Amino acid sequence: MTLFRSTNFFFGLFFRFSIRHMAKFPGRALVVLLGISLGAAVFTSVRLSIHASLNSFNQSMEMITGIADRVVTRPGGRVPETLVGPLLKLPYVKSASPFLYTYVQPAMTGKSPFLLIGFDPILDRPFRKWQLQNSTLSDQGIWLDLMRFPYSIFAGQPLLDDLGIKPQDGLTLEHVGQSAGFIVLEALSSEGLALVEGGRVAITDIATFQEFTHIWGEVDRIDLLLDSTVSENQINQIHKMLPEGITLGMPNEDQLSGQRMISAYQLNLSVLSFVSLFVGMFLVYSLVALNAASRRKELAILRSTGASAKLIFFIFIAEGGFFGLVGWLIAIPISSVFAKYLLQGVGETISTLFVRVSVDNLTLSAWEIFVSLGMTMFISVLAAFQPAREAMKVFPKEAMDIGQPVATHRKSSRYLAITGVLFILMVWPLSSIPPPENFPFPGYLATFVLFLGFSMLSSWSLEMVAKITEPALLYLGKEPAWLAGRYVHSSGMRTAVSVGALITAVALFSALVIMVHSFRRTVELWANQTVAGDIFIRSKMADINRYKDPVSQNAMVFFNNLDEPVDIDIYRRLFLNYGKNLYQFEALKWDVYLRYGSFFWTEGNIKTGLQRLKNGEGVLVSEVFANRTGLGVGNLFQTSIRGTWFELPIIGVVRDYRTQGGVVYYSLEHYQDKTGDLNWGGVRVFFKDREKIPDEAVFQMRNRIIECCGDSVNVTLGTQLREAILKIFDETFAITTILLLIALVVAALGITSTLTVLVLERSRELNTILAVGGSYGQIRAMIFWEAFLMVLTGEFLGILCGIALSYLLVFVINKQSFGWTFLYGMDLKTLAVSYPLIIFTALAAAIPAIRMVFKQPPANLLRER
Amino acid sequence: MLPQNDRQRVAKMAIDLIIKAEKLSRIYVMESAHVVGLTNINLDIVVGETVVLKGESGSGKSTLLALIAALDRPTDGELSVAGCNIKNATEDRLTRFRRESVGMVFQNFNLLPTLNVNENIMLPGLLARRDNLSVKKKADKLLQWLGLSGRANHFPAQLSGGEMQRTAIARALINDPAIVLADEPTGNLDSRNSRIVMDLFQEIIGNGKKTLIIATHSTIADHIATMRLYLKDGALQFL
Ligand SMILES: Nc1ncnc2c1ncn2[C@@H]1O[C@H](COP(=O)(O)OP(=O)(O)O)[C@@H](O)[C@H]1O
Ligand SMILES: [Mg+2]
Repeated sequence: MTLFRSTNFFFGLFFRFSIRHMAKFPGRALVVLLGISLGAAVFTSVRLSIHASLNSFNQSMEMITGIADRVVTRPGGRVPETLVGPLLKLPYVKSASPFLYTYVQPAMTGKSPFLLIGFDPILDRPFRKWQLQNSTLSDQGIWLDLMRFPYSIFAGQPLLDDLGIKPQDGLTLEHVGQSAGFIVLEALSSEGLALVEGGRVAITDIATFQEFTHIWGEVDRIDLLLDSTVSENQINQIHKMLPEGITLGMPNEDQLSGQRMISAYQLNLSVLSFVSLFVGMFLVYSLVALNAASRRKELAILRSTGASAKLIFFIFIAEGGFFGLVGWLIAIPISSVFAKYLLQGVGETISTLFVRVSVDNLTLSAWEIFVSLGMTMFISVLAAFQPAREAMKVFPKEAMDIGQPVATHRKSSRYLAITGVLFILMVWPLSSIPPPENFPFPGYLATFVLFLGFSMLSSWSLEMVAKITEPALLYLGKEPAWLAGRYVHSSGMRTAVSVGALITAVALFSALVIMVHSFRRTVELWANQTVAGDIFIRSKMADINRYKDPVSQNAMVFFNNLDEPVDIDIYRRLFLNYGKNLYQFEALKWDVYLRYGSFFWTEGNIKTGLQRLKNGEGVLVSEVFANRTGLGVGNLFQTSIRGTWFELPIIGVVRDYRTQGGVVYYSLEHYQDKTGDLNWGGVRVFFKDREKIPDEAVFQMRNRIIECCGDSVNVTLGTQLREAILKIFDETFAITTILLLIALVVAALGITSTLTVLVLERSRELNTILAVGGSYGQIRAMIFWEAFLMVLTGEFLGILCGIALSYLLVFVINKQSFGWTFLYGMDLKTLAVSYPLIIFTALAAAIPAIRMVFKQPPANLLRER
Repeated sequence: MLPQNDRQRVAKMAIDLIIKAEKLSRIYVMESAHVVGLTNINLDIVVGETVVLKGESGSGKSTLLALIAALDRPTDGELSVAGCNIKNATEDRLTRFRRESVGMVFQNFNLLPTLNVNENIMLPGLLARRDNLSVKKKADKLLQWLGLSGRANHFPAQLSGGEMQRTAIARALINDPAIVLADEPTGNLDSRNSRIVMDLFQEIIGNGKKTLIIATHSTIADHIATMRLYLKDGALQFL
């Protein structure tokens, strides 16, 4: 009861004291709310879109995994189906279900591929949930039809809708070289398996699947349900009965490695979008600080009439909380608009970079809503903390003071600056802390400390800049500039805060420009040197099916009998796990490849290394692989591939920007010797005459390949492939660019609001200047010079901070979250264009403030306040 | 209308009239009502006069000073100060007028908190684009005269009320204006400091070249007045 009464009283007072005051100056509050809600909206929508991807990924994986306890797989290959019988005979194996899946292409529809699952409907019953729309499962007759009628499928409703067909319709599907007519028996009701890939999924009987895909006697995996009392010993028995190269593993390994990669990306974008919120924090700070400072007299009166210091403190904390809450509420509709655009982009980025996800709608998660509300509130309350403490210190006696309003006493700016420098010095050691398991926390902490350190420098730097430029100011801008310098020199925290916001935004801008430029330049170099080849050949849908299907026989025959002036590099590519990390194992013909392509070595001896690689004495690994696994030159690469044990020294580490995990390169000849796997994953064709590669010859060759085996292989020109790589790159960074622009907008709002507030707050001073003989022009010029000094300081420190940040991004954060680094390069051209542009924008943000001058008539000087 | 007390002064008036108001009015237009600040003021003041402007709070003293200082424009009637038509002059002209012709002293000092004492004093000189050195010299002299030499590098926040007001007086004098206006200059000061300030005003008018108008509701300036004006509800009263 008393609690209720006192909270009631508190909010009553808060409403009368704070809200009414804000309502008197709605413009200021609106700018702050707009800033904070933009920040919150970006943060929320980014998190929600990635969450949707993560969610859909997890759901797909869980539904596919079902309730299996263990799975039998063969890394880099398939499992013989004959194992099912012996496994089922084991007393502690309750059920076993062979399982196959692949992406197939609906013929001639122009629609994208979808997932086709093949299993034995009876054996699979205990593992996975699925229902038909118009019949119950006890209605055995219908779902056994899947076995009864060859080439029949059950399909998810979204897939049927997409293809524009309905049950009992036929459709033609393609897989590598084969195509066949299927009939849709029935639609799946949307639960269980039908939720995989958002419903773009179909199931068929295992026999149909194998016949259609030409996989005879093999399955992708066998799922096992074990007795709950199964012992360690018995599990070892299963291990032993499995042939060499076939493993018994946990069912969710792929899901975990996928999840880890998506989470790293989520963290990355979260941090990036958090910057907008962080900049919004400066906005909240500047308004709450203004309210506290300009209402000192009122606070003193409140205090002298009995309000406790604590009450005053909480009133200002509540102001922060108010901005957080209302800003967040405004952010909801904005985020739903943002999210609509982000959802697709984020989903596609995750699909190309890491694992395939398909998202079509946002999933609201209580946790994500909690995170976004919590973050926004936290940021806003934190921003209000310092002004609230200041307000708390107002003495009741001040109510009796009259006359000259005291200039906000200067915080010891030097003390702050020294703390800032200490923070900046901490950045390097912080960033070198090894990250705990793919979680790039130290890198982000270092980034935060860097921003904080530079923001702390702003007050002192403003003083210095004002002091150093004083003679120049007087010379260039006469009295107005001199006055501006004097003001900026001693204005203290208020100007420092908006400069801090500018530092943050300029730093982020510079760092991202540098990073994206370095990244792109490196990827371009990599695409031109490492992604070598004039024509690339691989099985149809090899990418989406992760090279599970080798190049067809007739294509192999074609290339073996080719007598053109070309060299052929044959490679075998397998998608495997090394511990918890997904990677690609690629065996290639070193002697051919190295004649035309090359690597950027970051570790290892390139001179001796190449020969050793050709001799099959070791492997070359990508940076991503090295960073994810913690292995480097001299360490052993140890794993079993298709039943063969590999134990090879790592000869070198090279840059590689292939998506979906790291890469390990090995000699094809030696791989074939060891494993007996003579399949081809793909072929690179090089024209021998490098001086002039006749376009015509390339096209002719392509046409010949298509003629011979176009039904089973994809033919891509090297130039096309390299262009596609850069296109993916640019698309990936489109999201980054948007986030960046929003952060800059919020910073510009910050400048506008701070300068406006500075003008309003000083209307008495400005009028005094007018009264003692300053002209309107001089006073406007003064505001302009103030803005100029602030922008100059902010941009200067922002550039320094940005350069430091770009090192962090390139060498720490990218390494920690994605495993790669790139050649550092400043994008001088872009920066040279954008810095003046930022100065102009920031100065333009001062225009409302300059126009605001003398909204208060000068005669008000003579009125008592 | 001229308070008719001295024939000699009337004779001099034709040449040395420095402030002339005719049917001067200032009405504040508010959302809901019109507030009378001043109404129908007729006033002639000649050079060298020390005018004490009296009246209760709200009677229009500040409004009149604001008009004379060209901080505001009349809503009706005519006002000419030191040859400047306050009603119709361009903004540029008014700026020049404020620089050259008037010095203003406020009740709450209105020093710029980010400038030190010396800089506050020099400011009008600099704004008027006068030669830096001569402004500096003049400021030094004023500091000396006001007993503020030791305070030149202090900031307003470090001064007492009396010191702030003396700084403000020096600022009002730096450009050697013909008219000095003071609105309740002792309103925020104790009696000792009030007396010091009044003594300073007395010294300013000593040579008879400056015209001084002090608005106050108290009697503190009565002894230096050569002319007294009473305002009530925005209108001049004749006693
Ligand atoms: N800016 C203004 N807006 C509205 N009314 C005003 C304004 N300035 C002064 N007034 C009104 O004009 C009248 C005269 O005020 P003022 O000149 O300040 O009196 P004094 O200085 O004698 O106390 C008062 O009624 C006051 O309320
Ligand atoms: Mg007054």
